[in-house]
Amino acid sequence: MAQSDDAELLDRIRGGAVDEFAELVRRHQAHVFAILSRYERDAHRLEDLAQETFLKAWKALAQFDGRAPFEHWLSRIAVHAALDHLRKQKRSRNEIGFPELGEDALEWLHNDAEPGQLEARDARELLDAAMQRLSPTDRLVITLLEIEECSVKEISALTGWSSIAVRVRAVRARKRLRDALEQLEQKNHERNETETTL
Amino acid sequence: MKETKLKQLFEAARREPAPLPPDHFADVVQRAVSRQGAPEPFSILDQLAFLFPRVAVAAVILICCCLAGDFLLSMFNGPDLGEGLARLSDQWLLAGNGI
Repeated sequence: MAQSDDAELLDRIRGGAVDEFAELVRRHQAHVFAILSRYERDAHRLEDLAQETFLKAWKALAQFDGRAPFEHWLSRIAVHAALDHLRKQKRSRNEIGFPELGEDALEWLHNDAEPGQLEARDARELLDAAMQRLSPTDRLVITLLEIEECSVKEISALTGWSSIAVRVRAVRARKRLRDALEQLEQKNHERNETETTL
Repeated sequence: MKETKLKQLFEAARREPAPLPPDHFADVVQRAVSRQGAPEPFSILDQLAFLFPRVAVAAVILICCCLAGDFLLSMFNGPDLGEGLARLSDQWLLAGNGI
């Protein structure tokens, strides 16, 4: 039903009812924000990224052939926008240091025996800090696979990569993430020791 | 880091709710879209660019098939495809020149 509603709306928009694009945005904005919020936490930048996604969708509207649901096509644009955003961030970042983590996140990180419950916000903080060490494609694969829980086939459809490429990148990204988390733990441990000494 | 701990980290991260779009978001996008004008038509060049990887792959497969066919024919002393093509093109050229 939703697919046919979108199809009718798209027909009207392509027929000249430009003002109805806002309705299409309202229907899918939550979904786009949910995808992009995994890659950008700042509210203003997230809104810019979401706007960019919808503008790209607008420009490419003639290419949407309706074989798949509009949401899938839009998701693909959002994922590509996220990847471009991660690449730009990587280029503009001169030095990749380790950010300061909150106490709860640090405590969880150091505690191997009984890690205890971790708040979602702290988990995101830890992952964001560690993922700064990953390449944009590694970060994208890990996020889609482990946090969005997409299958390899879904990731392949979203990114345009072959299933083999997705699998290879996933294994590599997971290893790099683990290494980055261990480095994060080590750096913060050294920083705490230095502060204690002073 | 232990695998169980990594999994716990991912599970916790999944629980974070997605932020809601601001109330004005659709209107902001609509204004931007209205400034841009009608969406660009899907030109022939765009279609070719879109199809290009498939066209390129199809061309490579065709060339490989022709080469394979020529090789097999030459192995079994069959007619040489290259020679046949040369003869045909001569006929067309010579016929065109009235010879």
